[in-house]
Amino acid sequence: MTLSLTVNGELRSLDVDGDTPLLWVIRDELGLKGTKFGCGAGLCGACTVHLNGQPIRSCSTPVELVDGGEVTTIEGLGHEENLHALQRAWIEQGVPQCGYCQSGQIMTAAHLLATNPAPDRDQIIAAMTGNLCRCGTYSRIVAAVESVVATGASKHNEGA
Amino acid sequence: MSLNRRDFLKVGAGTSGGLMLSLSLFGCAGIATGYKPETGEWKPDAWLELTDNGDIYFTLARVEMGQGTYTGLTTLIAEELEVAPDAITPRFAPVASEYQNPLYKLQATGGSTSVATSWEPLRVAGASARQLLVDAGARVWRVDPARCSASNGRVIHPNGIDSMEYRQLVELASRETLRDDVALKPRSQWKYIGKQNGRLDARAKSTGTAVYGIDVELPDMVYAVVTRSPRYGGKLRSFNADQVRAMSDVLDVFEIERGVAVVASRYWSARKAQNALKVEWDFTDALAVSNAEVFASYREAADRDPGDSERSEGDFGDAVESGATLVQAEYAQPYLAHSTMEPMNATAWCREDSAEIWVPTQAPDLARIAVARVTDLSPGDVTIHTTFLGGGFGRRLSQDYVEEAAAVSWRMQRPVKLIWSREEDTRHDLYRPAMLHRMKATMDQGEVTGWQHQIVGPKILTWFVRNAAPAQYPWAPKFLYDTLGKVGLMAEGIATPKDMSAIEGAIDYPYQVDNIDIRHTHTDPGVPVTWWRSVGYSHNGFAVETFMDELAHQAGEDPYQFRRKLLADQPRHREVLDRAATLADWNSPAPAGRARGIAVFQSFGTYVAQVVEAGIENGSIRVYKVSAVVDCGQVVNPRIVEDQIEGGILFGLTAALYGEITFENGAVRQSNFHDYLLLRQHERPEITVEIVDSQASPTGVGEPGVPPVLPALGNALFALTGKRQRSLPLKADA
Repeated sequence: MTLSLTVNGELRSLDVDGDTPLLWVIRDELGLKGTKFGCGAGLCGACTVHLNGQPIRSCSTPVELVDGGEVTTIEGLGHEENLHALQRAWIEQGVPQCGYCQSGQIMTAAHLLATNPAPDRDQIIAAMTGNLCRCGTYSRIVAAVESVVATGASKHNEGA
Repeated sequence: MSLNRRDFLKVGAGTSGGLMLSLSLFGCAGIATGYKPETGEWKPDAWLELTDNGDIYFTLARVEMGQGTYTGLTTLIAEELEVAPDAITPRFAPVASEYQNPLYKLQATGGSTSVATSWEPLRVAGASARQLLVDAGARVWRVDPARCSASNGRVIHPNGIDSMEYRQLVELASRETLRDDVALKPRSQWKYIGKQNGRLDARAKSTGTAVYGIDVELPDMVYAVVTRSPRYGGKLRSFNADQVRAMSDVLDVFEIERGVAVVASRYWSARKAQNALKVEWDFTDALAVSNAEVFASYREAADRDPGDSERSEGDFGDAVESGATLVQAEYAQPYLAHSTMEPMNATAWCREDSAEIWVPTQAPDLARIAVARVTDLSPGDVTIHTTFLGGGFGRRLSQDYVEEAAAVSWRMQRPVKLIWSREEDTRHDLYRPAMLHRMKATMDQGEVTGWQHQIVGPKILTWFVRNAAPAQYPWAPKFLYDTLGKVGLMAEGIATPKDMSAIEGAIDYPYQVDNIDIRHTHTDPGVPVTWWRSVGYSHNGFAVETFMDELAHQAGEDPYQFRRKLLADQPRHREVLDRAATLADWNSPAPAGRARGIAVFQSFGTYVAQVVEAGIENGSIRVYKVSAVVDCGQVVNPRIVEDQIEGGILFGLTAALYGEITFENGAVRQSNFHDYLLLRQHERPEITVEIVDSQASPTGVGEPGVPPVLPALGNALFALTGKRQRSLPLKADA
């Protein structure tokens, strides 16, 4: 089927099977490889992107359900010259180990801060618990989110 | 380690006219083959290149799977080269003939060895490059090089004012002669080693730009998925090829050695076609075991065969005869999956006379063998491009997924990307072996007089040697591969290294006991197994440190003091143990409803003690705190050490609380993260890691955080409930 999506601010037209998960459209049709495949079942969060400002699991979202929607991926969150405050914090805190889950972690955190610019630690943990990390970077993730909250940068940097 | 510079370092002009140092580092100790160094041809495995543009490249034949190798090794060079670590761009070496390691003839990353084996040579390399630049500068200025210095990418004139940038000197430096007497900087002058340095790969991994295997794109590339026998060893009987081939986007459907491949122009189309695939399997020779049968076979083997003696001191039999109290316990640990976040995948481009493979692998050399095995190509025709790894943990030392991708591309003669689903990744893993441990100790008036540990289970070498043996003899014709594999097994301990995977952590039992008897009863139920983060230490750590806890209680002593007393001759064990007890406030009572457990364990030359504080809340085990102290010798990057120990603790807790792969009639029951659980953010305990200040040679940190946490948690639960759990995973209602 033919459908259109606004991805990272750009209108894109596509001709794909409607049941194709958004993840594979983003990765293979649009060439944005920052969003990762982890489980295919919405269990690990590696594929998290924003749809109309809400975090969704793109691996289990058929693209036909999001026709006409606005999608933000890790590539659209910040730009090389102007990274999102969370990305800067991730780098400063040295969060990633293998790094594979981190796009999804950052997208989930970005939505948290977009809706609640000053979450406490329990709120951060509750928001981030749907994103698995096999390397065990969980405490660095919380520290990085807290560092953004502490500087107040979350109030100036909309997630999506 | 004492190094003769000539053995591992050579200088020449770089490809762009700059300065190029080529290095031959050491093989991976965890999987070293013991192959003797060859004389003759120079085949380096790492390169340091300084260009006249001011770029510095370090190309290394090690992979980055999260453990920080990329950052740690670059820091060592930067320190001696007198540049900031982020001034050096690290790159992965492709593996082709010219990259083969002459010492071990095997490129692999594992065994927590990268920093340990590269510690001295990389600093010597950095210092040698610096000296060449200083010598070149001194020649330009016509001054004594001994009076010149280097700092922040510049050579400094003796007057302390004039200086030249490295890039101005690289070409001249390439004509200088390497010296044998280059001194390494004293510890007091280090700027980067032992300091908090950021990770060099953090930016790429925080912006979605790091390229993992699954991200590789080639022109004209198509996608493959493979349906494998649900039971290991099942043979393909038939499948509905025509029906599936007619489906949208499908290019071909055909048999490969490991199953049926579906190839399509889009990944999702390949998956949909796979769902329509109906395959008949012949299970005559297939695996048929269940977990209960595996452990029954282990017990039967243990009864029948006392096993090979792996360490014997004094006479355990005499200790038993002496009338001391005999304490016995049996421990059982299940199969475990690796569950890397990036599922297995590989992108292969086979042509008639050559192949290129882009793959997240821990063992590029073995990947070449895997490609040669399923094509008409020789290993020398195959180039392996290693990408970032979305987790390794030992899984990517096996090359089954490379074999599949190559087989499909060979047939298609075009670029093919193979991606495993999470379900396939869980069900077709090679697992941490299930193991059984029979422990006996004799106690006389509270003193341990004898210790016997009978380990029952398979050897990993049996499963690994198939590709590892031919990798050592790349000239060997392919019809010899299986023979080489068998010879490799027969020659274990002679031409091939002794497989320590079953016994490591048991034979190095550290406590002062007069009569020690460590044995391995080898039995293999046919389930594919491989290395898994911390390998043998992962199961022996639980058996040894839980049984020590049992003996402490038997003796009526505090488990910390009981261990401490028996470690009088082991200062490094004792120091981490003491400090962990202090860190966790061991001598004060735990908060109401909680209890503490302790364990100390050495693995990969690194000493780790942990105290776990745990309780049971709403019918579930809750881990509140882990206090860890680590002695890994000289620290290169403290933050990476902390992260690796903490990551190891969470990896171990995942196994302790949830880890269990269940075989039912030869097939794995679990499939995805809903039934093979990984620890989540809200379950993370408060973890404190303290690092011992040490000047000993650095040892690995990727794995040693794992082993102590399993027994420490079990011991805490015993302290809480009075019930001893001797099998994993641990239960709240045991």
